[in-house]
Amino acid sequence: MIVAVLIVLGIAASLFAVRLIIGPTLPDRVVALNGLLIVGMVLLAELAVETGRGSYLPVLVLLAVVGFLGTAMIARFLEGRGR
Amino acid sequence: MSRHLIGEVALLVGALLILLAAVGVLRFPDALTRMHALSKASTLGVSIALLGAAVARTDINDITSLLFATVLQAATNPVASTLLMQATYYAEGIDNRVDTVDELAEAVASEVSP
Repeated sequence: MIVAVLIVLGIAASLFAVRLIIGPTLPDRVVALNGLLIVGMVLLAELAVETGRGSYLPVLVLLAVVGFLGTAMIARFLEGRGR
Repeated sequence: MSRHLIGEVALLVGALLILLAAVGVLRFPDALTRMHALSKASTLGVSIALLGAAVARTDINDITSLLFATVLQAATNPVASTLLMQATYYAEGIDNRVDTVDELAEAVASEVSP
């Protein structure tokens, strides 16, 4: 079961990385980075379930906060640049 | 053992939803449609995966941490994607074609003209 989850998350992360590299504009790259961060969050949850060790779970909360703040800041930057 | 199995199945379902979001982000033709694919599928996928992990764990510290991350993600992910969508709409030089209904353009026009 862990192998299936890891394979699915690996394929998803590679697709997001392709979009991060070829993305023509800045919002495409922000979307791809947000997707990579979400893959990391699910990976940490899977690791905690499989190993039975919950030491990594505060990192997951921190990733949620940092992802929201980064996206909001880049949106503000983009809005100020665009108009 | 049963709780562990339920948690694993929920994690697999969440990972499959994230794979769906990744396929949408790679294949859709526009920045706005890519945001649509990521924000809808990934919010549900992360919520299902983290709730499954909270079912599988038994320590109360881990359960509260996972539930807090789930609530935080479900509250902030739509807000962040809405902010990014508005910034993309207002920014110049980014291709955003809204074909059928464009309510934001009507609102901006009615706000500017009088």
